[in-house]
Amino acid sequence: MKFLQAALTGMLLGGLHALMAAGLSLSWGVLRIINLTHFGLILLGAYLTFQIASSWHIDPILTLVVTVPVLFAAGALLQWGFDRLAVTELNSLLLSFGLLIIMVQAVSNLWTADFRQMAIDVNPYATGSLSVGRLVFPSTTLIAFALSVLLIGAGHQALQRTFIGRALRAFAMDRTVAAAFGIDHRRISILLAGIAGGSAAVAGMLFALSTALTPFTAFEWFGIVFAVVILGGIGNVVGTLLAGLLVGALSSLASVIHSPATEPFVVFSLIVVALLVRPQGLFARAGGH
Amino acid sequence: MRTRPLCAILIAAALMAGAATGCEKKSATGSQPAAEPGGAAASAKPIVIGSTLSLSGAFAATGQIHKIAGEEFLDRLNQAGGLLGRKVVWTVRDDESDQAKVATLYEQLISQDKVDLLMGPYATPNILSAMAVAERHGYVLPQHTSVLAPLMKYPCQFPGWSFGFTPNEFVPGQLFDAMASLPRPPKKIAILTNQNGSTDFVSYGAGDNKKGFVSIARERGLEVVAEIKYPPGASTSWAPLATQVRDAKPDLVINSGLGIDPVNLLQAMAQLDYSPPLMFSLFPAPGPLIKLGPAADRFLSATIFEPDQAILDKLGPAATEIVKDFKRRATEAKLAYTAPETQAVASWNAWDILVSGVKAAGSVDNKAICDALHRQGADTTFSGHLTFDPAHNNFWPPTTSGLTQIQDGHWVSVWPAERAAAPIKPPPG
Repeated sequence: MKFLQAALTGMLLGGLHALMAAGLSLSWGVLRIINLTHFGLILLGAYLTFQIASSWHIDPILTLVVTVPVLFAAGALLQWGFDRLAVTELNSLLLSFGLLIIMVQAVSNLWTADFRQMAIDVNPYATGSLSVGRLVFPSTTLIAFALSVLLIGAGHQALQRTFIGRALRAFAMDRTVAAAFGIDHRRISILLAGIAGGSAAVAGMLFALSTALTPFTAFEWFGIVFAVVILGGIGNVVGTLLAGLLVGALSSLASVIHSPATEPFVVFSLIVVALLVRPQGLFARAGGH
Repeated sequence: MRTRPLCAILIAAALMAGAATGCEKKSATGSQPAAEPGGAAASAKPIVIGSTLSLSGAFAATGQIHKIAGEEFLDRLNQAGGLLGRKVVWTVRDDESDQAKVATLYEQLISQDKVDLLMGPYATPNILSAMAVAERHGYVLPQHTSVLAPLMKYPCQFPGWSFGFTPNEFVPGQLFDAMASLPRPPKKIAILTNQNGSTDFVSYGAGDNKKGFVSIARERGLEVVAEIKYPPGASTSWAPLATQVRDAKPDLVINSGLGIDPVNLLQAMAQLDYSPPLMFSLFPAPGPLIKLGPAADRFLSATIFEPDQAILDKLGPAATEIVKDFKRRATEAKLAYTAPETQAVASWNAWDILVSGVKAAGSVDNKAICDALHRQGADTTFSGHLTFDPAHNNFWPPTTSGLTQIQDGHWVSVWPAERAAAPIKPPPG
């Protein structure tokens, strides 16, 4: 029972990691931008959630009404900038890292480096849970899981079934040919980056539900999020979800079976093995990005 | 066609970076006196004290507390005429919570800025870095909060807090003594240790002294029903840890942890519909715990100071005034928790030690200050007269150390009984 509980809780938490990774994965896979500012947008989403929910005393989930459009616009604006500057894939790593540092410093100046946490009366999810027999599911991770399945599922369907989705996939495969067929790469890039920004708002809200915030947390997400992106296959949103669940469950099991100290060892050993066996990612078809 | 947007973005980025650096520069120039001291203090060359603080990075939440305490101390000092009749200026640089940067910045402060005196940085790893530089140049290093007492071998470093020369024995001993005083003392304990140097040391000791929470609990006949180590950092999944603790059914949970570790753990346990009868954490962030509401009631922590009215009454009006001013400054700085507690008072002690040394030496000669402190000790506002024995790495007897507990949404000193503002609230039922 202990292991089952650990695996399930880890999978639920993996939903949050998948949502954090999805925007980065799409940006990398489709737009060829390794957009580290995505971590800054998640951070901003978390702080905006804290600020709006604490100031207006509203349910933190409702803050998405404000944060999603704001971060959609921020994501789109950043992509517009990357596009105008003709940033290459490798250069994007350095440029977006610089921008991330500026964002983290700006958050620190606005909200200070001190811990910020929503009070329990504003955020009842922090200590809530759902029990099924002897299994207990924390509210925060349940919400994270549900939202990640919903949003990533919807994103996948949109990519598969809509004209814009097909255009994006064509653009990811061959930009020149896609352009020859009349696909306006600028518009769809900005739209995709905006959607990634919106997903960062949701991920930020979920993070703020579950813990106290400090500006420099953004740098601590790198390891787990990149692990999920690479294992899932760059640009593969469903793969990102599956990788998130796998990494979450394995980390959690490693923590219970041996020690929490072995979590990073397990996750990064898995990445090494995965890259040796399936360089395109565990859940991506060969020949992908 | 591309130049205009490119320029716009570069200008915007430069403006934002400017805002960030501007802010850093402000902290780099440090504390200027709020009012010019009169007479000689205003005309003589100022005494420059150099230090770094973690104003960004992992330790920044606590680094800010030390900055506020230092600025308040120096404002009061300068308003009272400065030191040796000279104004005191503090040059404080942001070490970004990076141990490597600490050493470089202290070298710069000494070699390039030619500061007269040093003040230590925050957090044990940073203090160890600064101590090596201070020793190389023969500077006195008062430091706020190093826990690894046996490693602090430089005879001219002076701690602003102290859990004795062997904190790995003292802290567990004090906690278990306090628990033994309860009507129904805990018998089964769970110990969760952050593998950070300081917290791991208090759980497992270091070098030849392997004593700590785990071994001392067993020596006292307590059953350690769960013993968990976890890595530092925000990526720790707390739910599996909470599950293990719940299944072990301890009477007391000891979290040898830092910052928001106990907040995350308590929250994860609450999500499992589990609340430990009693819980202790070594160095928690006080604000977020209070925000947890009833889930954190009865939570215990180590302390050297809580601004309880009874303690302030005993310390006198100056201490009350300092506490009030600190709260005002912390509110202005938008800190989540504005009361000066252990960290702020450790910082204040370190400044008191430096000033005592300079006054006793009658100069800013670092060797003379070091000798004077060994010879005469230091007078501090909050911890009284301190004496420094190099044989114990200057870690003074832990006469001000105790336990504090959250009771009805407030931190209250509860142990030892003679300095307690209230008795320990035992587990419900």
